Amino acid sequence: MTAPLVTFQNVQKWFGDFVAVRDMTLDIHEGEFLAIMGSSGCGKTTTLRMLAGLETPTAGEIRIGGRLMNDVKPHDRDTPLVWQSLALFPYLTARENVEFGLKMRGVSPNERKTRALDWLDRMQISEFAERNVATLSGGQKQRVALARSLVMEPQMLLLDEPLSALDANLVIRMQGVLIQLQKELGITFVYVTHSQSEAFAMADRVVIMSQGDIAQIGAPKDIYRAPANRFVAEFVGRNNILSGKVTDIGAKGVEISAQQGTFVAANPNRPLSAGQSVSFTVSADLVSLSTEEPKTKNKAQATLISEEFIGSIVTVFLEGAAGQDYKVQMQERALAALDLVPGRDVWLSWDIENANILESDL
Amino acid sequence: MKVRGSNVALGLYVALIFTFVFAPIVFSLVFSFNSQRFPTIPLGEFSTEWYVKIFNDEDVWKAVRNSVIVSTSTAVLATVLGFCTAYTDFRYNFRFKGPYLALILLPPTIPLIIMALAMLAWLSRIGMSGQLWSIILAHSVLTAPFAMAIIRLRLHQMDPDLEAAAWNLGGTEWQAMRHVIVPFCAPAIVSALCLTAAVSFDEFAVAWFVSGLNKTVPIVILEIVQGNIDPTVNAIGTFVFLTSMTLVILAQLIFISRQIKSHS
Amino acid sequence: MKAQRKIDVYALTWRLPIILWQLLFFVGPVVFMIVISFFVVKNYRMTEAFEFVNWERMLTRGYFWDSYWYTLFIASLSATIAMIVAFPASWALAFRASETQRRWAVFLLIIPFFTSYLVRTFSWYVILAESGVLNAILGYVGLGPFKMLNTHFGTIIGYLTLTLPLAVILQTITMANIDKTLIEAARNLGCKPLATIWRVVLPLSKTGFIVAALFCFILAFGDFVAPFYLGGSQEPTLPILILDTTKSGQQWPRAAVVAIMMMATLFTIAFTAIVLAYRKPKGTNA
Repeated sequence: MTAPLVTFQNVQKWFGDFVAVRDMTLDIHEGEFLAIMGSSGCGKTTTLRMLAGLETPTAGEIRIGGRLMNDVKPHDRDTPLVWQSLALFPYLTARENVEFGLKMRGVSPNERKTRALDWLDRMQISEFAERNVATLSGGQKQRVALARSLVMEPQMLLLDEPLSALDANLVIRMQGVLIQLQKELGITFVYVTHSQSEAFAMADRVVIMSQGDIAQIGAPKDIYRAPANRFVAEFVGRNNILSGKVTDIGAKGVEISAQQGTFVAANPNRPLSAGQSVSFTVSADLVSLSTEEPKTKNKAQATLISEEFIGSIVTVFLEGAAGQDYKVQMQERALAALDLVPGRDVWLSWDIENANILESDL
Repeated sequence: MKVRGSNVALGLYVALIFTFVFAPIVFSLVFSFNSQRFPTIPLGEFSTEWYVKIFNDEDVWKAVRNSVIVSTSTAVLATVLGFCTAYTDFRYNFRFKGPYLALILLPPTIPLIIMALAMLAWLSRIGMSGQLWSIILAHSVLTAPFAMAIIRLRLHQMDPDLEAAAWNLGGTEWQAMRHVIVPFCAPAIVSALCLTAAVSFDEFAVAWFVSGLNKTVPIVILEIVQGNIDPTVNAIGTFVFLTSMTLVILAQLIFISRQIKSHS
Repeated sequence: MKAQRKIDVYALTWRLPIILWQLLFFVGPVVFMIVISFFVVKNYRMTEAFEFVNWERMLTRGYFWDSYWYTLFIASLSATIAMIVAFPASWALAFRASETQRRWAVFLLIIPFFTSYLVRTFSWYVILAESGVLNAILGYVGLGPFKMLNTHFGTIIGYLTLTLPLAVILQTITMANIDKTLIEAARNLGCKPLATIWRVVLPLSKTGFIVAALFCFILAFGDFVAPFYLGGSQEPTLPILILDTTKSGQQWPRAAVVAIMMMATLFTIAFTAIVLAYRKPKGTNA
């Protein structure tokens, strides 16, 4: 495996007493689409700004292509950023905006113009090239902002919540544009967002941050199916979390005794001992509902509280023993066949391999 | 209806206040075309006599030339100083920022007559009084706060990421200044130039004290007024009003139109 | 291991000019004015010294104190009048006028600040004269003629030319920022219009009003044109005293004493006013 493009080595960033990034060690590989996700104030934007040189780390080292970047000024870097506010120059036309970086780098006017128009064409907005950016729509501005960064032909593109100002339909369209671009160009994208759907839809790897720490790094599917800790399990949502004590460890799985019953979860890749407290998660879409008691080992009884429809997918909210909340996701058709009534008891069940023991209880 | 009645009364009252504020300006204009030496009602005949008189007065022309030099130089100097300070306030946080800002913002709160005395004493001491540029120095101190305020207001409207975006695209701090901050502030800079020029063009107390023999237009007015009733003042006054009002209205229109644009 | 702090040329380029400039041409003059108040004048020439003779001379003279109290009185009076006269107009602009009307009104009222005060004063001189415009108009309805020039009335008209637009602007902005629902609530609860002004509007706009009054006072206190040309300087105000002492007698040190006294007075009043303006009303220590 080749050396990573970017390495963060024990990077810290403090603003006075406030810790934005606590102790970050992270590799970013060439050509990957990396999403950094978390709620506001988790340190994701600070991480991105440190990459762009807009913040200097308080401690630790950041290297890009092996070069120590801590004290390199923003303009000496090759890390164009697509800003959340877009930060287009309001007094310039779309073309002049795209030319801006080339102008700063001393590219001749003719070449600037050719390259800018190429990119505007590529982003399918060449007809607006001579329009003042203030007169463009949100989606068009977005494309100008992308063109402005990509015309620099960077090794790595930084994106700070670029789609947060767009409406839902446009977000899906732009996600497609971004994925396509990243594939075609083969460069690294570092994408900061608070939106799970954006991160999971586009990224090869997702970094989930919480209060300045990395909570989990992994492929979207892994994070979704096997959250490492309670924070990620809750942040990713649509997870059922159950806690209990280990009673038996066998080849088939770990037996856990909880207030809601005795369950078996898949063996984790860490050693456990009997009597230890653990939590495990089951994705809402991997839980089955039935009115009759199922034959499987992993089952629990619960009462229907409410239902939420999004298209043909239904999320059913239930409450079980000891106030335990459950969420079950299923096709609307399957739910209709069950003929549920609020207040009535039903059975939930899931397979052993879908019960994932968390690495840490935090 | 009761409310409508009170609205009419209040409307009339507002009109009265505006009459009071603009009466001297309007009367000065009217008197400047009035043949009477001592104007009253009924008015005398229409006459351009006073304009002809000042047009042929070499002292007035000299004063106009001086005023133009003083107000344009002051405007440039004050706007540069105001811009530097506004940008520093916008961009940086540092210890003693309060006193730093007080340094530029305090002068307008001190009565002009006191500034005039202090300037006269100090500039004479360091051998800089009695010159045309003595007025420019003094006026730059008095007007820089206006320039600073206008440009600071404009910077406040700027997306703070804009400057960083320029660095991010490979611009040095100097390039970002040249290609982002200055163009963005351009309307405010023009407004600041107009307003500081207008203030300097009208200022008489400090100018009178430090100018020595170099008279500006307001000093000429002051001297005529000190003598006796002379309607040429109205003619000069109308000229002065038109100049300053043009500058002020221009300044406001440029600034306001930009504000509206940047909000849409 | 802390990085050595390098001199940031870029930052200093923007920060230093005003510091140097103001030290040279603002702090310098003000400090030097204080210094010369201790100099002595011999044979019409100022000589360096450190004596209290000027202070003694000025502060023990009756005419200085007469002038001091008169200036304080007439400036306070005119500030009060400006605030009262402005109020109904500001009220109308704040509560009855539309947003656009209000913006235009403020726009128009700013114009006078940048136009020649001197010419406006001269215009008043002609209007207020014994056989001037106002007396001519009053004559048609069988009144007058009144003596308006060279009176306190003349002085105050001059001051108002300077302060009234400012009072209206500041009052209007202050009241326009009041949450209108509070006033409606008061009216709804049966508060009479005048009581609403007194109990709701004024307490809510206290800060803005005190600042407005302060500005009116400062402008009047430091102006020499109105009392000189319209008031006839029969009772010289402090600015006229400075003017006369500087221009005719070459007595800069004595003028400096007057100027310092004025500044001290202004700072005291401004400080008190600002403390009053930003003090929280009783019972709201939360």
